[in-house]
Amino acid sequence: MLLDVVNLHTTLATGDTDVQAVRGIDFTIDQGETFCLVGESGSGKSVTALSLMGLLPTGLARHPHGSVTLMDRAMPGGGSHRTSLLTLDNQAMSSIRGRRMAMIFQEPMSSLNPVYTVGEQIVEAIQLSHPHISNAEANVLALQALTDVRIDDPENRINEYPHRFSGGQRQRVMIAMALACKPDLLIADEPTTALDVTVQSEILELISQLQIATNMAVLFITHDLGVVAQIADRVAVMRDGLIVEQGSKDEVLFRPQHQYTVELLSALPENLQRLPSTVRSTPLLLDVSGLSVHFPLRRGLLKRTYGYLKAVDNLDLQIRRGEILALVGESGSGKSTLGRAIVRLLKPTSGAVRFNGTDIGTLSASQLRTQRTDLQIVFQDPLSSLNPRLNIATTLIEPMKVHGIGESDIHRESLALQLLSDVQMPADSLWRFPHEFSGGQRQRIGIARALAVNPALVVCDEITSALDVSVQSEILQLLLDLRDRFSLTLLFITHNISVVEYISDTTAVMRHGKLVEVGPTATVCHAPRHEYTQRLLEAVPRMNNFKVGGS
Amino acid sequence: MTNTGKPLDQRHREGPGAALIRNTFCSVGAKLGTGWLLLLVFTAVFAPLLANSRPLLGSYNGVLQSPALAYLSALDITLIVAFVLTVAVWRTRLPYKVVIVLCVAALTWGISQVLVNVPKLSVYEEHREQPALSMTDWEVLAPIPYSAKDYLRDYGDTGLQAPGFYDGRAHYLGTTENGADLLSRMIHATRLALGIGLLATGIALFIGVLIGGVMGYFAGIIDMLCMRVIEIFEAIPTLFLLLTFVAFFDRSLYVMMVIIGLTSWPGYARYVRAEFLRLRQQEFVQAAVASGLPLGSILFRHILPNAVAPVLVAASFGVASAILAEATLSFLGLGLVDDPSWGQMLNQAVRSSTFNWWMALFPGGAIFLTVFSYNLIGEALRDALDPLSRSSNAKKVDTAVGAS
Repeated sequence: MLLDVVNLHTTLATGDTDVQAVRGIDFTIDQGETFCLVGESGSGKSVTALSLMGLLPTGLARHPHGSVTLMDRAMPGGGSHRTSLLTLDNQAMSSIRGRRMAMIFQEPMSSLNPVYTVGEQIVEAIQLSHPHISNAEANVLALQALTDVRIDDPENRINEYPHRFSGGQRQRVMIAMALACKPDLLIADEPTTALDVTVQSEILELISQLQIATNMAVLFITHDLGVVAQIADRVAVMRDGLIVEQGSKDEVLFRPQHQYTVELLSALPENLQRLPSTVRSTPLLLDVSGLSVHFPLRRGLLKRTYGYLKAVDNLDLQIRRGEILALVGESGSGKSTLGRAIVRLLKPTSGAVRFNGTDIGTLSASQLRTQRTDLQIVFQDPLSSLNPRLNIATTLIEPMKVHGIGESDIHRESLALQLLSDVQMPADSLWRFPHEFSGGQRQRIGIARALAVNPALVVCDEITSALDVSVQSEILQLLLDLRDRFSLTLLFITHNISVVEYISDTTAVMRHGKLVEVGPTATVCHAPRHEYTQRLLEAVPRMNNFKVGGS
Repeated sequence: MTNTGKPLDQRHREGPGAALIRNTFCSVGAKLGTGWLLLLVFTAVFAPLLANSRPLLGSYNGVLQSPALAYLSALDITLIVAFVLTVAVWRTRLPYKVVIVLCVAALTWGISQVLVNVPKLSVYEEHREQPALSMTDWEVLAPIPYSAKDYLRDYGDTGLQAPGFYDGRAHYLGTTENGADLLSRMIHATRLALGIGLLATGIALFIGVLIGGVMGYFAGIIDMLCMRVIEIFEAIPTLFLLLTFVAFFDRSLYVMMVIIGLTSWPGYARYVRAEFLRLRQQEFVQAAVASGLPLGSILFRHILPNAVAPVLVAASFGVASAILAEATLSFLGLGLVDDPSWGQMLNQAVRSSTFNWWMALFPGGAIFLTVFSYNLIGEALRDALDPLSRSSNAKKVDTAVGAS
C-alpha cells in the first residue's frame, strides 16, 4: 500500500457559508497501480486531489476529519515509515511534493510558463526537490526526462519556448516535469480532457508505459468512462463529495451495484437507446460547393500578407432536409470555421453556400438579415453564449421582434414561454438572468434562442462538449425530439465519436480543411474507408472494447 | 415590455448590474466616499439657502418677504427642483425614473429662464442696515449669514481673519483676504468642484465610448486610423493647453470643462476598444449577429452594457483628476476671477506675507476628501468587477470546485 486515505473531509470557506466539497471518503492506492476517480463536475474529485497535494488555499480549506497517510516504499515488509500528509506544514509538504507525489493538470496551454524554455522549467522542478544537483547534472536529467516522454529531437527542443509545442507535446513536457524526480505517486487531474482523441491515446499509452518502467502509482481523475475502461486497475465513483462505489474496473464498470453508477453508464451515448436510422430521400436543403475560408497570415511592420491559413479549403457538402449530419474532426481541422461560414458569421473566401438555392455568401446585408432566420447556430461554451446582462425573456423575444414573429409583445412572451417548455425549462426561467442557470440549462436556453426565429437549419457547434455525460444525454435526446417536432435539419459539429454514432444520420470527417470521408454513419463508424478515419476511430477509448480482462 | 399580470418581483430580479452596485457598496470605503459626495451634492444644491447674506424669510414693515428666494437664479431653482424630485421618486417603482427627472429639470430650466429675473444689482449691506433702521419686524437668517461674494465692506475690521468671533460676527472657518466668509465661499464652491469633475468626465466618456466602440467593433483600418488620432491627443498636455487658453481667452468654467474633457478621452477610448474587441468574439454577440439583429442593438444592447463597467472605474478616477486640474489652475491664479473655488482659496493661503493656515487646511481638506472619495468608489467598483479580488475566498473555492 502506498497511499491510505481514511475518512477524508474537506471544507471550503466561501464567504458566509462553508461548502463541504469532500464529505468522508476512504480509498487506498497500491504501488504501481492506476486508481481512477470518476465523477461529474462538482463531485469533489479535483478537490480530493488538491487536498492530497496540500494545494488548496490555506485558511480557506480545512480538513475537520480524516487522515491521509503516505507509506515509504523503500522499506520492504510491513514496517514501513509513514507520513501523515494532512498534519504537515507547508515546508514539510513541499519536500513531499514533486519528490514523492507529483501532479499534472488539465490545461496544457496554461500550465507552462511562456517566458522560460521548457528545459529551464524542467531543471527548476528538478532543482527544487534536489537542491544539491548542479546545473549540468540537472540538464542531463532534464534531457533524459524529455527523451522518456518521447519528444522528438530532445537535444534541440529542450531550448525552445512552450509556444512552439502543441497541446499534446506540452502535456508531455508537464509529465516530464512531474516525473523528473521519480515520484511514487502521480496525480493526473483530467490530463487528456483538453486533447484530441489521437493525442489522448498517445498520452495514455505514455503514462502507462512510464508507470510500468518505474512502478509508479497513478491517481487518475477523469469524467470519461472510456478512458477509465482503458487504463484503470481500480475505480472509485464520486458524487457530491462521497465515493458511492469503488472496486476493480470490471466490478464497477461492468457489474455496477450503485444506482448512480448505473445511471452514469446508461447516460453514455453508446449505451443510449438508438433510434432507427431514417434514411430518407428528401430534397437538398444546403449545398456547399467549392467553399474556401482563408485567413491571411500577416507579418512585419506593414502587415504584409505572406500566406493563408486555409481553414476550409475547397470543400463540398450536401445536407438534405430533415437530416442530421455530424461533422467530426480534431481541433484545428476547420469544422467550426465551416459551421460559422454556413451561417455566414464568416464571409467565405470563395465558393458557394446554397440554402434552398440561394447563395448565402453573396447576399447583401439587408437580404442576409431576413435570410438569417433560416440558419441558426448554437455554441459550445454555455458560459459565454448568453448575454449576462439580459434576462432570458429579452434574449428570446428580441430576435422575434426584429423578424416580426408574433403580433404583440404579449404574444411574443407567450411564444417565449412555449419555447422554454419545448426545451424543458421551467416557466419562471423567463425573468431570470443567465448566471442563475447551470451549464446544461444555459445550453437549453441557447437552443431555445436558435428556435425562436423558426429556423430550417441549426448548426450545433460542439454543444455538448462542456457538459457532463448525464446532461449531454438529456441534451442529445432533446435535440432528436425537437428535430422531429420542428422538422429541423441539424449540422452537428463534434469531436466525440460516440455522440456521432448516437445522433447522426450521416457523418462527414474533416481534416485540414477538407472532408476526407462522407457517408451514412453506420458505414463511416464501423467500416471506415479512409486511413485517417480508421486511425481516429481506433484512438477512441470505448468501454466495450475493454470488457474482457484488464490491461 | 408589457405586463401580463406576472407578479412584479419576478420581473425585478436582481440582474448583474444591480449585483455589481450591491457588491461595490459592500465596501466600507465606498460607503464613506458616497456619504461625503452626497453631503457635497446636498451642499451644492442648497448652497444659496445654506450660506446667504440675505435673510431666508422676514417681515419688513408688516410685509412678508423672502429676499433669499428673490435672488435665486434659474440654475438654483432647477437644481433644487431636480434634487427634490430625485429624492421623491428614488424608492418608487416608476418606470423611466431618470428620464422623468431629466425632463422635469429641463422644463424647470426653460420656464425659470423666462420667468426668473434676478435683480442685477445686489447690495448685501442693506440687509444688515434694515434692522438698525427698525424696518424689520422679524427675520430668519441663513445658517451662514454671508454670501460668497459678500466682502463685508460695511465692517471696518475685515480682511484675513482666523476662525473666531468678531464684533458679534461668527466666522467658523475664518475669512478670505477680501473679507468674505470662508465657509460660505467653500459651500458655494462645491458646485464648481462637483460640476467640473462630472461634466469634464462626461464629455470625455461620451467621446471615448463612441470612438472606442467604433474602433473595437469594426477593427481593421478604422481601428488603425483612430489609434493614430488617439496617440495625437494623448500627446497634448492638458494643463499647458489650459494655461494657454486661459492666457489668451476669457476665464470660463465651461471652457475649462470642455478642454479637460477633450484631452482626457483617449484613455477611455482605449478601455472601450479593448472591451469591444474582446466581446465581439464572444458567442452571445455572434449569436446576436446570427439572429439577424440590427447593428444598433448589437452595439448598444449586447456589447456596450458588458463593456462599460471597467470604463466606469477609470471614470471615477478621471473625475478626481479633473477636480485636481481645476484646483491646480486656480492655485496658480489662473482660475475663475470672482467665483469661489477651492483651489483659488489655497492660492490665497500662501499669497500674503503670513501663512494663513485656515485658508490652506479647510479648502485643501475638502479637495483631499473629495478626490479620496472618488478614488475609494473607483477602487470598490474595480474590486467588485474583478473576479479575482472580489470576495477572493468564494472565487477560489468556485475554481477549485469547478475544476473537479
